Amino acid sequence: MFDFRFYEIWRESDFIDRLINGVWISVELSTAGGVFGLIMGLALAAAQSSVSPSVLRYASISYIEGIRNTPFIVQLFFVTFGLPLIFNYRWPFEASALLAIVLNFSAYFAEVLRAGIESVHRGQIEAAQSLCLTRRQTFFDIVLPQAFANVWPSLTSQFVFLFLTTGLISEIGVEDLTWSGRYIADRNFRDFEVFIVLTLLYVLIVFGYKAIFSLVQRYAFRWRVAR
Amino acid sequence: MTELIQLLLGEFHAKMLLVLLSATQWTIYLSLTAFIGGGLIGLIFTVLKISPIGWLRRLATAYIWLFQSIPLLMLLFLTGLGIPAFFKIDVPAWLAATVSLTLFTSAYMSEVWRGALESVPKGQWEGGRALGLGFNWILYSIVAPQALRISTPPTVGFMVQVIKGTSMAYIIDYNDLMRWGKKIANSQLDGAEPYIVYPVVALIYFGLCFPLSQWSKSLEKTMSPK
Repeated sequence: MFDFRFYEIWRESDFIDRLINGVWISVELSTAGGVFGLIMGLALAAAQSSVSPSVLRYASISYIEGIRNTPFIVQLFFVTFGLPLIFNYRWPFEASALLAIVLNFSAYFAEVLRAGIESVHRGQIEAAQSLCLTRRQTFFDIVLPQAFANVWPSLTSQFVFLFLTTGLISEIGVEDLTWSGRYIADRNFRDFEVFIVLTLLYVLIVFGYKAIFSLVQRYAFRWRVAR
Repeated sequence: MTELIQLLLGEFHAKMLLVLLSATQWTIYLSLTAFIGGGLIGLIFTVLKISPIGWLRRLATAYIWLFQSIPLLMLLFLTGLGIPAFFKIDVPAWLAATVSLTLFTSAYMSEVWRGALESVPKGQWEGGRALGLGFNWILYSIVAPQALRISTPPTVGFMVQVIKGTSMAYIIDYNDLMRWGKKIANSQLDGAEPYIVYPVVALIYFGLCFPLSQWSKSLEKTMSPK
């Protein structure tokens, strides 16, 4: 009854190449999406601070709520098939996928970072002001590092959760890990084995990401121990 | 009601909206089933996770870890395509979608509830034991009611994740809102361009999710123990 034929996957070098390429594309796009998403999320979170004009604040909140309350797949299809028709441009699918990932990630990161910024003690800002630091210095040198340190674990799990949804970009033809799996399963008809291998690869990538996040935590937030 | 929509949007778009709205019911059924089923299974594993028996705890840990690590997309592929191909059986899309989302929900829910149970101070357990109460009784009458206050907002918030998660079920041909949206957007009809259809689909999802996330936020304010 249990007739596992995993060898049907690694028998052909084409399949192996596709899998390796798929891992690379998935990691590449989600890493780029994570970095740009973090920058955009930071801007969105900063736009919500009490000193920013209320127009900006409401724009940021509406954007975040809009993204967080709709599925990624709808955003992806809109960005890939809708936007190019409105603005009359043609992008490769990878670029559209990256744009959708950045737009999606940024809203989730913004929410985490906002909580981080709010968690920084008021006295820290007052102390910075009494030392005549400018607003910019206060934000970037005092508030932000502490905010990051406070929410780094939540940021990690949020990123991992989001990474696990990026397989959807295979739906628009980006040759990521999920796409490679479907390519192989369509040819050797061993869907079950293929998706088990795919799941293992996803879990391995998650381990890799978690290791990187905890390395950053160990070295970047060293100053925290001094307290 | 139907006439009013037709009057406002024109016949074609009124029809489109009605098709999408009636497809939304399948999204709602799937979400509710997954949430209730996942909640029940999640509850069992939450209790196992804090039980005094070691191997039950390890079983629950393994279960929660497993179904949090498998991407929902892979769960859908495994149940919807993998199992039918492997065991040569026919699995209807709704069943595969329900099973996948239930497993997904149960793992995340038990994680949330375990966290809530553990945030109840240890002294509450000790107090119960000092009164001569057993594990089940302490859990049921002392710890769980306190944990409920903490866990209600994230539980409601997770419903949003479940609803968004159901949108992935269209890849195994479950006929929900997303699948109909895609069908209409691919139809090449005038007025059914992707930049019209997908925002409408997004708005419907938003209409389902936004009230829940606002509810979760207001619960967070009123129920936070202070």
